Amino acid sequence: MHIPDNYLSPQTCAVMGAAMIPVWAVAVKKIKAEVPKEMIPLLGIGAAVSFLLMMFNVPLPGGTTGHAVGGTLLAILLGPWAACISVTVALLIQALMFGDGGILSFGANCFNMAFVLPFVGYYIYKFIKDSVKTDKGEYIGMIAGSYIGINVAAFCAAIEFGIQPLLFKSATGQPLYCPYPLSVTIPAMTIPHLLVAGVVEVLFTVAVFSFVKKVSPGTIYEGAKEKTKAIYGLIIGLICLTPLGLLAAGTAWGEWGTDEIQDVVSGGSALGFVPAGMQNGFSFEALMPDYSVSGLPEAAGYILSAIAGAAILIILFKVIGYLKKDKGESALE
Amino acid sequence: MRLNDNRMDALNMPEWLLTDENYSPPNDRDTFVNKSILSFLSILARIKTQDSSETGKYGISAIFKVAFTFMLILLLSLSRSFVFVMIINVYLIVILSLMKAEDIVKILKVSLVMSLFTFILLLPAAFWGNSSSTILITGKVFATITVVNILSRTTKWTSITGALKKFFVPDLFILVLDITIKYIVMLGDFALSMLYALKLRSVGKNKSKYTALSGIGGTLFIKSKEMAEDMYIAMECRGFTGEYHVYNNFKFTIADFGYIMINVGIIVLFVYFGRI
Repeated sequence: MHIPDNYLSPQTCAVMGAAMIPVWAVAVKKIKAEVPKEMIPLLGIGAAVSFLLMMFNVPLPGGTTGHAVGGTLLAILLGPWAACISVTVALLIQALMFGDGGILSFGANCFNMAFVLPFVGYYIYKFIKDSVKTDKGEYIGMIAGSYIGINVAAFCAAIEFGIQPLLFKSATGQPLYCPYPLSVTIPAMTIPHLLVAGVVEVLFTVAVFSFVKKVSPGTIYEGAKEKTKAIYGLIIGLICLTPLGLLAAGTAWGEWGTDEIQDVVSGGSALGFVPAGMQNGFSFEALMPDYSVSGLPEAAGYILSAIAGAAILIILFKVIGYLKKDKGESALE
Repeated sequence: MRLNDNRMDALNMPEWLLTDENYSPPNDRDTFVNKSILSFLSILARIKTQDSSETGKYGISAIFKVAFTFMLILLLSLSRSFVFVMIINVYLIVILSLMKAEDIVKILKVSLVMSLFTFILLLPAAFWGNSSSTILITGKVFATITVVNILSRTTKWTSITGALKKFFVPDLFILVLDITIKYIVMLGDFALSMLYALKLRSVGKNKSKYTALSGIGGTLFIKSKEMAEDMYIAMECRGFTGEYHVYNNFKFTIADFGYIMINVGIIVLFVYFGRI
């Protein structure tokens, strides 16, 4: 996932770097507040561990091996803010000393691997762990967190690649940087991560965590007292990102409307017809058709739909949690 | 008499000691252990060799090297001129030719592999009709990777981190970077011995080899926490108060002057070809 230089435009790199500056500032402040004294050696040695964790080759079925990033693992062990700084320093050494990952794209790489990955992974882990308060819940949280974390990071990288041909073209219309649109970069980045890298990340995270927990439970980060509030921050962040969907040229695969289905290409030739069942079938008028609400600009409609979707999901989780608790109490009586 | 009997007994070796042993351990997969060992070894070797890299008495100051390397990367990324990218590539190849053969091989290996990878990646785009950008980006990738590797091979890493001070990077961050590089070596050595132990002790089939790997990762983490505590105590004992200053005794040499002139030339070229 290390983006080399010249795949992203300098402008994109500048934006990503600027986005990381407040994150780093807050991270240093938070770590200072949590561990004021031992902060410096902790950051340096944490970075060394994060660098070395990326060196481990994890066996995969079929005799091949893959390596994990370990972002979620570090976030669970050290806390997300310390993980952010550790991975940043590790990435800087890789870029500056080993030539692995670009210098200009350092900001983008940090955004994906030092910010998105540990934070998404950690807060999913924490959310599930806090709502299902058993050992099983903790492990499910870890599996979901590390798997989703690395995939969201890969997805971010895919978007950064994919918007290049849209935004930066030469006078003759030729793309200057990564030439592939979102429709190519998203599957190219996410499929290998969904199938392989995500699995490696999960295996490594669960195995190392359970070892540390068994051998030295005191060293694991205990987490802030603020409980699951942070999940709301994560959701808000994701909502803000949804208009990115507008950038995609086509409709998402499998989300065609009947007017689009005849243009769908299968096996090299366009479908050219609308399946009869779809033409006269049951037409489901959703509350907000096509994510755009009439009278609103399209982007705002997207955000509104995302807010509604997120709220519905939260309600769903709360109701499930409530019903479960109720059941548990009645069982006690 | 009795003593003799005992001696006779001792001479009569038990049967199982006399039979030929024919144990050959079944083969087991351990690619992942070998691969991990190799990647750790290459990292450690890389860091240890850079420590001995001499910049020479009349070498170029690390500050200029770092500054102009960053500048060159930025110019390469911004440039749309094929000629400019080619000139830079030739310039870098000239610098390479002045280096030691061992370094040349190592740098070229990395930059050629990355350029080839980029070229293959961009090949489909060439069939869609933008072959020019495929070649341009491949050329840019080659130049960028080469220039970073030349910097990291010819400059002590402590000088690189020290040079960062001139770019308003906080002292604290430079200290953290230095600690990280030192502890990559220490923890890397530690992990390497554990990997060797795992390999040596796995005779024949070892079903718990996979769990052992997580043990190595976990032990590494616990060890790092202990080391961080020890280091903090050691720092405090030596009077560390949380303030850290990086000192630089900087002298301007003729080599610096020549290097600056070359880079001014590069900027002029960039502007000139940018107009066309």
